[in-house]
Amino acid sequence: MNVIFAVVTGILFGLGVFQLLRRDLVKVAMGFYILFTAINLFFLAVGAYNGETAAYVVPRKVTTLAEAVPQGVPSDPLVQALLLTAIVISFGSYALLLGMLNVVAQRNKSLNTDRMNNLVR
Amino acid sequence: MAENNWLVLTPVLTHMLAGLAALFLWRFNHAQRLLGVFSGALTVLFTIALAITVAQDGPQVYRLGGWQPPYGIALAIDGLSVFFLTMVAIVVFAAMIYTWQCADKGMKRNSYMPLALMQAAALNGAFLTGDIFTFFVFMELLVITSVILVAGSDNPDGIEAATKYLLISACGTLFLLVGIAMIYGSFGTLNMADIARLSAETGGTNLTNASAVVLMCAFLLKGAVFPFHFWQPDFHTTAPAPQSALLSSVVVKVGVYGLLRLITLLFPGSAETLRLVLIVLGLIGIGFGGVTALRTHNVKRVLAYSTLAQIGFMLLAIGWGTPLALAAALIYAFNHALIKSSLLMLAGLVASRTTTKTSSLAESHGVGHGMPWVSVLFFVGGLALAGIPPLNGFVSKLAIVQSGVDVAQSGDLNSWVWLGLAVAGGVLTLLYVTNTWQNVFQKAPDDRTAKLKPEGEGDSWLAPALLIGACVALGLFAAPLVDAAQSIAMQITQPALYISAVLGG
Repeated sequence: MNVIFAVVTGILFGLGVFQLLRRDLVKVAMGFYILFTAINLFFLAVGAYNGETAAYVVPRKVTTLAEAVPQGVPSDPLVQALLLTAIVISFGSYALLLGMLNVVAQRNKSLNTDRMNNLVR
Repeated sequence: MAENNWLVLTPVLTHMLAGLAALFLWRFNHAQRLLGVFSGALTVLFTIALAITVAQDGPQVYRLGGWQPPYGIALAIDGLSVFFLTMVAIVVFAAMIYTWQCADKGMKRNSYMPLALMQAAALNGAFLTGDIFTFFVFMELLVITSVILVAGSDNPDGIEAATKYLLISACGTLFLLVGIAMIYGSFGTLNMADIARLSAETGGTNLTNASAVVLMCAFLLKGAVFPFHFWQPDFHTTAPAPQSALLSSVVVKVGVYGLLRLITLLFPGSAETLRLVLIVLGLIGIGFGGVTALRTHNVKRVLAYSTLAQIGFMLLAIGWGTPLALAAALIYAFNHALIKSSLLMLAGLVASRTTTKTSSLAESHGVGHGMPWVSVLFFVGGLALAGIPPLNGFVSKLAIVQSGVDVAQSGDLNSWVWLGLAVAGGVLTLLYVTNTWQNVFQKAPDDRTAKLKPEGEGDSWLAPALLIGACVALGLFAAPLVDAAQSIAMQITQPALYISAVLGG
């Protein structure tokens, strides 16, 4: 894991957790998505730390067999395949969350978490 | 090398295809419900066939697309998975029967059945996958479908509970993803059998220990264990009746399953510390769940808090960790699923008679006065939950106590204290169950009950009666379940067979 990845992941984690703990539910939703991005970056960094070239890149004009093989250590393709799945899932949950916040806002006339206490007995 | 076995796919594929077919039957609500019952019955048959195959030939594997593990995704089934799959199949079948004859407005939505079938498919998928990332995918599918189903409940507060659950549980799945990334960072593989092999051989790095803790937090959140339980009572109370039966009896068991896998298969190195944490949290859960259930005034909510306490007993047994204790945890999980789902269905039945469709004791006391059979069923189920002898709850409590005595006699003197606390906490069950039963079925009806709906408009009691029948039968003839649980517990303490079946070594 190189330094840029580490720093960016750390900042995003901090931002995400901070937003997640706020009172306004829209900000909470944003924090949720930032946190998901931070985790995706972390996952990417964990797999690709020793990669030098892209995973499956072949040069355009290949004349000899040796040119077909990219130079250097290829990065980990499995992580990138997994991340595509994780990103799609995060889109799905985020869209559902925003849709539900819409309904909550219409029913409660507020998105403040302090007002969402109908269930407290 | 084990051959590909197509039977492994059936628990997921049956529900998934039925869900797809239910989408095409969008306008035909009754046909959708019949399809649900049919798909549930088919899955029960397939699961029994699968259980027989696993018992005879050992773990079964299906490699998706023919790719070899550790890189390809493998669906792998051993005794533990089959045990949980059988439990899910029975409860889902009963929930489908309940839905079939349910008069709830939420059930009449055309989107209900496709979602419920997809939820069942995700539940089965989580139990049978042998790849930890696929486990994450199925968990997220489970969260999303459950959230939509509860948000569409006819309880107006359903959407609030569902929002809370979505936020908290999505954070739980994020934790799962962090743990998976850490595992991938330390071992470079995602296949559970491969992780188990590498973790036993090399012992892992510091990142491995951190990932064990993070994964355990995720599973504790899924299982609604004490410090992570805050979403659970709201969510289980506001869900429509068949959904709350499913959520409170089998969906929380995904967490128990994950913890079992974590301790016996993935991280044998750090299992010692994790088990101590599980014992402490389980005991707090037993006490806290019991006391809170006593001072709650809503039938469904009482039962939701009771789940918190019952999960505590399972964690206690997992924490002891001997084969006998693991078998006790399995028996407890199976019996609790049957009892709790039937009790929640009966609570939903009572709620369906009141005008406001609530199960709160203020509204529903005396509702059960004219329903002698439902009263008897609830009483028997409550006694089973409390662990009174001829019923299956007694068998599971006895197994826990026996395993605890066994651990204590083998030198671990703390176990006497833990066992005593657990038994004392278990007595609370009797108190809140009889309190609830008296309030709903014994109190005289007052002026509110004059407004009750007639009996024909309430839900049918066929499904809970079937489940209570299964409870009584399992109490009288407990030997097959106990034998199966014991042989499975022996299997999961020696994971070599599972590893070789998946990796083909």
